[in-house]
Amino acid sequence: MSLKDILSPFSAWKNLALEPVTVKDPLNERPGAPRYRGFHKNELNECIGCGTCSDICQNAAIDMVPVEGIETKAGDSGLRPMIDYGRCCWCALCVDICSTNSLSLSNEYTWVNSDPEVFRFIPGADKKSWDANELGWKKPDNYNLNEPLRVKMEETAPDEREMSFLEVVKGYSKEQAEAEADRCIECGLCTATCPAHMDIPQYIKTIRDNNLEEGLRIMYQTNPLPEICGRVCTRRCETVCALGHKGDAISIRWLKRYIADNVSFDEYEKILNEGFIEKTDKKVSIIGAGPSGLSLGYYLTQRGIKATIYEAKEKAGGMTMYGIPKYRLPMEILDKEVEFLQKIGVEIKFNTAVGKNISFNDLYNNSDAVFIGVGFESPYKIGIEGENLKGSLQAIEFLREINKGNKIDIGKKAVIVGGGNVAIDAARIAKRIGAETTILYRRRVEDMPADWEEIEGAEDEKVNIITQAIPVEIIPDEKGKVKAVKYLKAKMVADDKGGRPRPVPIEGSETIIETETVIGAIGQGADYSFLPKEFEEKLELMRGRIVTDSNMKTSLDKVFAGGDAVNRTADAISAIADGHKAAIGIEKMLLSE
Amino acid sequence: MKELLQRLEYRFDVSDIVQKRENQTFLTIDKKHTISLITHLRDIENFSHFVLLTAVDWIEDNLFQLTYILHNPEVNIDIAIRTMISRDNPEMDSAHHLWEQVATYQRELKEMFGINFPGSPGVNDSFILEGWDDIPPYRRDFDTKKYTEETYFPRPGRQTNDPAEYMKNKLYPNG
Repeated sequence: MSLKDILSPFSAWKNLALEPVTVKDPLNERPGAPRYRGFHKNELNECIGCGTCSDICQNAAIDMVPVEGIETKAGDSGLRPMIDYGRCCWCALCVDICSTNSLSLSNEYTWVNSDPEVFRFIPGADKKSWDANELGWKKPDNYNLNEPLRVKMEETAPDEREMSFLEVVKGYSKEQAEAEADRCIECGLCTATCPAHMDIPQYIKTIRDNNLEEGLRIMYQTNPLPEICGRVCTRRCETVCALGHKGDAISIRWLKRYIADNVSFDEYEKILNEGFIEKTDKKVSIIGAGPSGLSLGYYLTQRGIKATIYEAKEKAGGMTMYGIPKYRLPMEILDKEVEFLQKIGVEIKFNTAVGKNISFNDLYNNSDAVFIGVGFESPYKIGIEGENLKGSLQAIEFLREINKGNKIDIGKKAVIVGGGNVAIDAARIAKRIGAETTILYRRRVEDMPADWEEIEGAEDEKVNIITQAIPVEIIPDEKGKVKAVKYLKAKMVADDKGGRPRPVPIEGSETIIETETVIGAIGQGADYSFLPKEFEEKLELMRGRIVTDSNMKTSLDKVFAGGDAVNRTADAISAIADGHKAAIGIEKMLLSE
Repeated sequence: MKELLQRLEYRFDVSDIVQKRENQTFLTIDKKHTISLITHLRDIENFSHFVLLTAVDWIEDNLFQLTYILHNPEVNIDIAIRTMISRDNPEMDSAHHLWEQVATYQRELKEMFGINFPGSPGVNDSFILEGWDDIPPYRRDFDTKKYTEETYFPRPGRQTNDPAEYMKNKLYPNG
């Protein structure tokens, strides 16, 4: 035995002077590791109750339950996750999939209690000692179980769009649509926000399953114009998409378009199983072949009720036909959709203006119900001097003429007044027919009611947007034609009542912009002059809009109404929803007779 | 590390060499030569410590991946050896003769993935799932949620809501 062998055990004595690495009091002091996966925490105000945590839990440990003080509203189901720790295995999939990152795990894992019921609780709502605990498991940055970014939509390059009315948005390919559909977590928060309450998650699922015919059937249950909505819907659904909190919302509109575009029109009748409906002897007259009237026509026909639509113009579609430029909604799409409705029995009498070619009394006396879907077609004037000059137009009329294929000379420079979709449409068209185009808007870009993609489209196409600009006068040249617009610059002043900031003109800020054409696009109103006096007097209106009950019935006996003439949102999808509601209301009324 | 990899490449048909950390490299070799490579690493290259053996189910490719991690304590280097075996015939040569404890890993993989290692001691004994009567639970075609729902009774008083359905009842019950 060597000396080393004898001495080496004593070398361990040096450790006596070192700090121990073990926990001193393991019975009382047991901190979890910094990323330990312990009891849940939930930021209740960030959570939107999408239920994805509950869906992914492989142990079925999470229930979605109402919590006092949390309201069910657009984009928030009002439900919150309740965890059953008898089942939880602490895998943290619920945290990793959470669409708002509200859910996390603390590193607290010791808790003893003889009552098993306490181990079922709602994190965040049932206060716990670890709620303020910073340590634990959070979804790591840049770690996503689902793709946060949407599949990009291909568009015609901006420089190719000038002088062209070809559709800008190209539509998804099969691979693109499937990849985008794959992102959907099927929470269904969108369905409540959609005015027509379309079953969005279910039709998106049919894309993943490659069963587009079923997708079409699902869409037609609540919306008989999906081809139109797939292009121009205001898609409020996308504003509440759960994925929009930490990434891009699902491209719901483009997925709808994908289904509609990829099922042949010839197959529609077969797929939608039309033609086997028992016919009744009931008749309904519909005034206006816009989205609300067409939608009502479809749902009445489905119920065996004869629907006749009276349309003043030569084509159906209303604002979607005459108000939306062809680069957003090609006319053939609309024609085909209308053709299908006619094929299944919706009768449309074109060039028949009620109050002119046929009297309202005739319709009223010969129908079991009448529906008013006349829209908001009369433009509001800007209300400034010079509006009647040659070269001053209304956007609605400008768009209508262009869509009819007529030529309008707007010269080399055009100024559009307004910030809604109509203003942007008019500007992008003015640009297409060769004018240097400027938009004057009283508020800021972020206040514009127009769709953000349309605003971006206009910017891409080099439409000049001047914000916080209030027009005060249209100045004529010596021949009485438009020469320039005078406007005042405005500052934004916070509203004391909590409304959006108001533009207030800055004194002495008069600016003049030269132009050959001024196009007003500040909004439209209704025209009810087709109604005989005794009806018009009794029709209850509020701020120019017809008042209806939840079945779309007006204050007049057996008269229903819908579309822009009724709802403030003034978009196609609301009008389509109105048509559906009216069909249910009319059926109810006729059945109770 | 670099010289070691050169030596291995000279003797074995290894591919997909990926250095994941300064002292850890992954490489892939075919099923037939896997045990030879491991034996070589242990006996010639001093990878005396067996760290772990695990598997991945690549169901889309109809393959199981086996990963052996070995450690050389003298130079503090890890080598991870990946090999693919068919999901249709999930069988692999045993390595228990190299390290006794490998038998335990192989027994676990038999139970959790259904990968067999003929000749490995106790490979057919239950590992943790006594009385298991379903397909091996780590296979990706095993539906954990379905199994949970069918096997375990729900705790009394539990009730859940579908967000979309709940919103309909709250916000537009007649729509």
